Amino acid sequence: MNIQMNMSLAEKLAILSDAAKYDVACTSSGVDRRGNGAGMGNSVAAGICHTFSADGRCVSLLKILFTNECIFNCAYCQNNCNSDVPRASFTPDEVCELTMEFYRRNYIEGLFLSSGIMVSPNYTMGLIYQTLYQLRRVHQFNGYIHVKAIPGADPVLVEKTGFLADRMSINLELPTAEGLKKLAPYKSRHTILKPMRQIQNRITENKNEVALYRKAPRFVPAGQSTQMIIGATPEHDYEIMRVAESLYQKFDLKRVFYSAFVNVNQDANLPVLPGGPPLLREHRLYQADWLLRYYDFTVDELLSEERPDFNIYLDPKCDWALRHLECFPIEINRADYRTLLRVPGIGAKSAQRIVKARRTAALGFSDLKKIGVVLKRALYFITCSGKMMYRTKLDEDYICRNLIGDRTQIPREIREAGYKQLSLFDIGMEP
Amino acid sequence: MYTFICEDSPNGIFSGVYDAWAFKIQQNKQMPDGGGQSGSRAAGQTRCTHDDIRLTSREPDNYELFSQYFPVTPSAEKSDKVARTLCARLGTEFYETVMNALLAVIPERKGEIDKADAIYHTVVLALSSPAGANTLHRLNHPHVHRVFTLSRATANEAHHLLGFLRFRELENGVLFSTIHPKNNALPILAEHFTDRLPQENFIIYDENRRQAAVHAAGKNFMLADASDLDEAMIKRESCREAEYQSLWLAFFENIAIRARVNPKLQAQNIPKRFWRDTIELSRTGGGHFPPSHAPLPPE
Ligand code: SF4
Repeated sequence: MNIQMNMSLAEKLAILSDAAKYDVACTSSGVDRRGNGAGMGNSVAAGICHTFSADGRCVSLLKILFTNECIFNCAYCQNNCNSDVPRASFTPDEVCELTMEFYRRNYIEGLFLSSGIMVSPNYTMGLIYQTLYQLRRVHQFNGYIHVKAIPGADPVLVEKTGFLADRMSINLELPTAEGLKKLAPYKSRHTILKPMRQIQNRITENKNEVALYRKAPRFVPAGQSTQMIIGATPEHDYEIMRVAESLYQKFDLKRVFYSAFVNVNQDANLPVLPGGPPLLREHRLYQADWLLRYYDFTVDELLSEERPDFNIYLDPKCDWALRHLECFPIEINRADYRTLLRVPGIGAKSAQRIVKARRTAALGFSDLKKIGVVLKRALYFITCSGKMMYRTKLDEDYICRNLIGDRTQIPREIREAGYKQLSLFDIGMEP
Repeated sequence: MYTFICEDSPNGIFSGVYDAWAFKIQQNKQMPDGGGQSGSRAAGQTRCTHDDIRLTSREPDNYELFSQYFPVTPSAEKSDKVARTLCARLGTEFYETVMNALLAVIPERKGEIDKADAIYHTVVLALSSPAGANTLHRLNHPHVHRVFTLSRATANEAHHLLGFLRFRELENGVLFSTIHPKNNALPILAEHFTDRLPQENFIIYDENRRQAAVHAAGKNFMLADASDLDEAMIKRESCREAEYQSLWLAFFENIAIRARVNPKLQAQNIPKRFWRDTIELSRTGGGHFPPSHAPLPPE
C-alpha cells in the first residue's frame, strides 16, 4: 500500500473524489425540509443539480470516500487492497469543513459519504457516524446527507447513523450471488441484504413513531437506495430487472441505480469492453426502471425467459406497445390515466395534464401538442374523438420501421458520444 | 376595444388588471338599462365585457383607429389588492403560477398573446368560473396556455439557478453572487436562499437588471436597486476564498469518469449561458481534460 502522510486537504480531496466517482447515485431527492432559521441548510424534494461534470452527469452532492484504504479485494473496484493507487483518509473535521464551506457557496446540495473499509467494518462505520454527528450537531448542518452503510458493521452503529442521514444505501454491487462470490469474495448476499432489511424495518417503525409524535427524530426520511454494476458479469436484462423489481417490492427501496461497468483494473476475471462501457444498455435499464416505478409496468410484461434482453433500438415502452397492438388505439378523451401512461410519447406529466384538461373540453391533436405529447411517437396509438391523426396502418413492422427511423430512439447523449457499434455486451452478453 | 398599456413589471401588470377590471364595472354602471349585446365597438351603448378589454405590456407598434388606449400608472396599492384577491380566492398555487408568468421574459413572437393580456384573461376566467384555480388546467384555452408557458419558463430557469448560482465570500464576510438570468428569477432565488442560509449575510446581484436581493443574518431579504453597487468592494474576497475555489475545482475535475466524457451531454444539461457564473465551468472550459492535480487512475 501506498499510504502518504501529511497530505494537504487538496491532495486528499483529489484522491478521495476520484475514488468515489463510480458510485452513480448523486441525487439529493426525496425529502422536503424547510430551513430551521438557526443552522444552515434545507432540502428540496425534487433534488437540485449544482453542476454537470465533463461526462455530463449531474453533480448534486459532495461525493467522496472517507478513505480509499481497503482491506477487501473486490475485483471491479479501483480501491481494492491489491491495486496500486495513492491512498488517503479524511478526518471527520476535514469532511465537515469541506461540506460546510462548499454548501455556503452553493456548490453542493449536501454530502454523499461512502468509504473503503479501513481496519474493520465497525471501525469504518464508527468514523462515518462520528463525521455525521459532528456535521449535524456541532455545525448545525441541515442540508442533505446520503451515507453508505458498511456491510458487516454493528447494527447499532448503522441505526445511530440512520438518524443523522436523509438517505442510506448499501450497494448490491452485482445482480447475482454467483457474480458476487466470484468478484467480491469478502461480500455476500447475506451481509448486504441483512442491513438492507434492518434499515427497511427501522424506516417502517419510524413512520409510525412520527405519526404518533410529530417531532420524533426521523430515520432515513429519503429512503434507501442501492446500485448494481451492469456488464461485469453475464446476467441478462431480465435477471437484472427481476432483482430490481423485488428490491422495490420486498425492500421498499426508493431507487435502484445501474452503473455501466468501466474496467479499471484489467483483472483477468473481468470482461474487456472494446466498445467502452455499455452506456446504451444502462440507458434502457433506467428507462425500464422508470416504467416499473411510475408507469405501473411489471418486469414480466417487458421481458421473459425467451426474450431476456431489451431491444436496444427501441425504448422499452415502444417495444412493449408494438408487441401489444391489440390494446390500441386508445381514445384520448376517455382512456383512464393508467392506460394513457402506456402510450409511447405520453409521459406521466402529459398524462396528468390530459386528464385535467379534458374535463372542460374534448382534446384534439393540436391540444395534445401544447400539452407536451410527442405526437410523432404517439400518433399510431391514439384517437382524438374517434379520429386518428393520419390514416396509418396498425401494423407492427410498419410502425416499428417508422419509430426506429426516429432518431430520438437512441438518446442524443449516446449518439453524440460517438457511440460506435453496439458491442457484443449490449446484445448478447457473451463474455 | 379598450387597450390598457402597462409597464412590464409585476406592479405594472397587476395595476393594469385592477384598472381594466374597475373600468369595466364603471362602464356598465353608467349604462341606463344594463346593456344589450356584448362585443360592440362603440363604448357606452352596449354592455362592456372582458372580451372588449385588452392589456399590453409594451407600447403598441401602431395604434388602431377604433380602439381606446389607457396608460396604466403602476401603483403598489392596486397591485397589492390584486395579489391579495388572488391568494384569498384562488389560493397560493394559482398566485405563484401567475407570479412566475409575470416574471417571465420571452422574446415576443408575432401572433403570440401578450403577457399582460394572457394574465388578465386567465385571472378573469378563474374568478368567474366554478373551476376556480383549476382553470389553470385548461391548456386548450389560448390565454391559459400562454400563462402556463410563461410560468414554466421562469420556474425552469429559477430551478436551474437554485443549483447553478455560486457565492463568493467577500472580505467583509458577505456571500456575493452575480447572475444573468433571462427571466426575472431573483425574487424566487432570494426566497430560497433566505430559507437555506438564514444566518448568513448575502447578496444576489442580477447584473442585467441591476437589481439585488440583500439578506442580513436573521432577517428577511429585500430587493433593491443596485445601480450604484460598490464595484471595488465586491472584488475584495476573503483570505480563504481562493483556497475553497480551488478545492472545488479539484473536486469537479476528479469526479468525472474519463471513459464517459461527453461534452455535448454536459452542455445540454447545463446550457452554456450559465457557464460564465459558475467557476468550475468558466475556469476549466468544462473540465474535459485529465485533471491537472489528480492521481491518474489506472485506466
Ligand atoms: S469493499 Fe470492495 S468495493 Fe468497497 S472499497 Fe473495498 S474493494 Fe472497493
